[in-house]
Amino acid sequence: MATRRVFISRSLGVAVLGGTLPSFFGKAAVADPLPALGSTIDPRNVLVVVQMGGGNDGLNTVVPYSDDAYHRVRPAIGIDEKAALRIDEHIGLNPVMSGLNELYKEGRVAIVQGVGYPNPNRSHFEATQIWETASPERPVATGWLGRYLDRIVPASTSAPSNAALFTAVTLGDTVPAALIAQHVDVPAIGALSTFQYNVGKDSASKTTANRLYDGAKPGQSPYLDLIGSTARAALHGGDYLKQRLASYQRSLTYPTDPFSQQLALAAQIIGSDIGTRVIFVSIGSFDTHAGQRNQQDRLLGYLSNGLRAFYQDLAAHGNADRTLVLTFSEFGRRVQQNASNGTDHGTAMPMFALGGKVKGGVYGTHPSLTDLDHGDLKFNVDFRSVYATVLDKWLGRDSAQVIGSSFDPVAFV
Amino acid sequence: MRASIAKLDTSTDPQVGFRPPGTLDAATALDRYRGAFGRRQAAHLARRSGFGPSAAEVEHLAALGVDGAVDSLLHPSEPDLDFPAYPDVEKLYDPKVRNGVAKMWWLDRMLRTKRPLAEKMTLFWHGHFATSINKVPANYMVGQIDLFRSQALGNFRTLLSSVSKDPAMLIWLDNRYNVAAHPNENYAREIMELFALGLGNYSEDDVKAAARAFTGWTLDKNGGFLYRDQVHDPGLKTFLGRTGPWNGDDVVGIIVEQPIHQRFICRKLLEFFVYSDPEPELVDRLARVYALSGYDLAQTVGAIIRSNVFYSTRAYRALPKSPVEFAVGLMRVMDVRQVPADIPFWLARMGQDVLAPPSVKGWDGGPTWISTATLLARFNLVNRIVRAVPPKAPATVASATAPNAAGPMAAMTPAPPNPNLFAALTPDQIVAHAGGIDANKVLDTVVVGTLQGDVTGDVRKALLDYLNARSATLPTPFGPENYQERVRGALALVLNLPSNQLD
Repeated sequence: MATRRVFISRSLGVAVLGGTLPSFFGKAAVADPLPALGSTIDPRNVLVVVQMGGGNDGLNTVVPYSDDAYHRVRPAIGIDEKAALRIDEHIGLNPVMSGLNELYKEGRVAIVQGVGYPNPNRSHFEATQIWETASPERPVATGWLGRYLDRIVPASTSAPSNAALFTAVTLGDTVPAALIAQHVDVPAIGALSTFQYNVGKDSASKTTANRLYDGAKPGQSPYLDLIGSTARAALHGGDYLKQRLASYQRSLTYPTDPFSQQLALAAQIIGSDIGTRVIFVSIGSFDTHAGQRNQQDRLLGYLSNGLRAFYQDLAAHGNADRTLVLTFSEFGRRVQQNASNGTDHGTAMPMFALGGKVKGGVYGTHPSLTDLDHGDLKFNVDFRSVYATVLDKWLGRDSAQVIGSSFDPVAFV
Repeated sequence: MRASIAKLDTSTDPQVGFRPPGTLDAATALDRYRGAFGRRQAAHLARRSGFGPSAAEVEHLAALGVDGAVDSLLHPSEPDLDFPAYPDVEKLYDPKVRNGVAKMWWLDRMLRTKRPLAEKMTLFWHGHFATSINKVPANYMVGQIDLFRSQALGNFRTLLSSVSKDPAMLIWLDNRYNVAAHPNENYAREIMELFALGLGNYSEDDVKAAARAFTGWTLDKNGGFLYRDQVHDPGLKTFLGRTGPWNGDDVVGIIVEQPIHQRFICRKLLEFFVYSDPEPELVDRLARVYALSGYDLAQTVGAIIRSNVFYSTRAYRALPKSPVEFAVGLMRVMDVRQVPADIPFWLARMGQDVLAPPSVKGWDGGPTWISTATLLARFNLVNRIVRAVPPKAPATVASATAPNAAGPMAAMTPAPPNPNLFAALTPDQIVAHAGGIDANKVLDTVVVGTLQGDVTGDVRKALLDYLNARSATLPTPFGPENYQERVRGALALVLNLPSNQLD
């Protein structure tokens, strides 16, 4: 017999009765900003999720170069055995990934092989929803990180303080499904300049907007209160963000591609101590149905060089040990190359974890290239095991509550 | 058994908790409104039944009186503009541009249509039957929007049957793969859960029976609807308590006869047109109108927008504008005559990437439209539209329209200045209407033209102070040298007020 707790959800504006809703997804949890008492997990830990949009071909990322079957199925787009950056006797990284390879050699990178889930979906949209909500069986409204946020940020009827507003941020223009929460507002910061009230030189206009919203009174409609408090959080939060981030000094020059620039901003946010626990970044266009080598190699180069710069910047500011980077993509690609020197939508793929506290190495086994399911790889690690590891061991939350059931951890943290 | 479970489950509706305060007079709520019909009521009708409106539209509707205004929306006498039936076909099949082309094609209709209610209902059906261009190719999405428009105010039974045969829907919810040997339940489940009955008002056996009834409803080689008799399951099915050799149309017919369906769809219409979380008594009364009309949408919507409850103070500015309503309304108020190419991008930032709803459930709406990021996007869209001046030198455009010059907006900002992309409503027009460069008169013109005068004294004072300010950046008070910038600035501030976030 559980005590019924009533939470007023700010963005939902609805009284949620714990225990009366049909599933765990609908339940508001007891929010607690800190990991469990006695936990050795640093409460300042940060998770940086890297979305590789479009479905990244795992076989040309972590290459099973010693497998004859690989060279048979990839006659035109395969990576030469000699070119692969050797991880061990069987696998190596795509040759453009020298940056990540260096970090691997330093023991900062874990490769989790053959990650997927039962009955894989090959639609970009639906597979992305599945990965981001951690719910392969049915659609749900909240993301896996959103549900985590609902558990660490207390529900409240008032707008978040500057300090709480940036608990999780996405460095894109829209909030990804992974960060959709019941009651936590996640700022979308496409660039520092977009999370601002933009009026050019007319600063009096900004001052007046602040005055209008600071003085805004709740009216008849309950929406007015929500709009007023959220706008105040946005207007003042934008100023706070700009001011707090201003003194950060980058320790190196990042590559100029947009993904690396997102990482530069991520390092700045982490280094400015504004209470951020989760940062979502993305790099797109991995949907390589044709001419794969050119496109994927270019993107993997951005990924690898960007992450190396990011890690160095974090390390120079003493933040590498409290930052964990996790990559994912909605699916891997078909084993057999297609007639356009590309690959079509497939299933399992490797994930990378990077950070000062990561136990580097290879986890799980590379899926067989001959024992296939309709031409696709069979997964051997459920992606929810990887999420569970991050939640339990890095963020200090009971993963079963967030994911909905228990999954065995992978030992990379 | 069934009667006892026939209850609307509102536990996952985020709009619960946002019902306006006050008490419903249920007995007279749907009676015809016979009160005053001035500028504020006319603007309320125009906002809920369309987009915007411009000050001129408000005056036009107000002059017609409530019956004339509603009739002009429900039964427009003049033909609509001669819109292209289809976007440029070559572009519609070009994977690089097709999604943007389809979005712009629809937004153009929303902006310029002479039949705003039909277009507004088309948007309602898009949210209701939420289908995404991220799975369904753009040409099918355009076809689906055309279907919604042609039956926007028709008969729901016909619409539900048409949607069940719509190629975009057959792709979206996989019914094209639904064959007797391997029934696919995806569409059968959603037609009940999301489109017509609501969770808890059917059993898993009903899902299985409906899936069998829809077997063989698929696509032909050219992407049109095809009924394949050889893969249809002709056997007896028991669906919602009735047994027969049902096909998909039979299932649709049985669904609409359920009293719970009638309440389900009427509650959704009330949340779209009147206010959040409407009282069950109000829902029941509208459901009776809907059932008696034989599921006629023009009669049902007509009953709403003629009613006492629709014009009540509880319904006035009681719903947050959706991003599409906000953006299209803004363009109409500002008299922008062609949709700027970056509008789909702004809609995504505001949380409503049109033609790309986030899931099969569509947009949750209500309070979920409001977040720090979406409000800043609304503010900055206003600042961009109101302050963008057709450039003399191209450099001015870049800075006025692209705060993040390196971001995707820069690429989407139209290069050569096209006067139709800029607001035709100018500070000179406002000053002329106000009768001179006088801060008080100009402010009156602005707040009446945009918000029908709905601002408090405090707000008015803050806006007057802005117009009259002297500061480092604004060295001279309101006058001939600076009225252009200041009128635009004041207009943007008014459009960014809390009340302009509400419909």
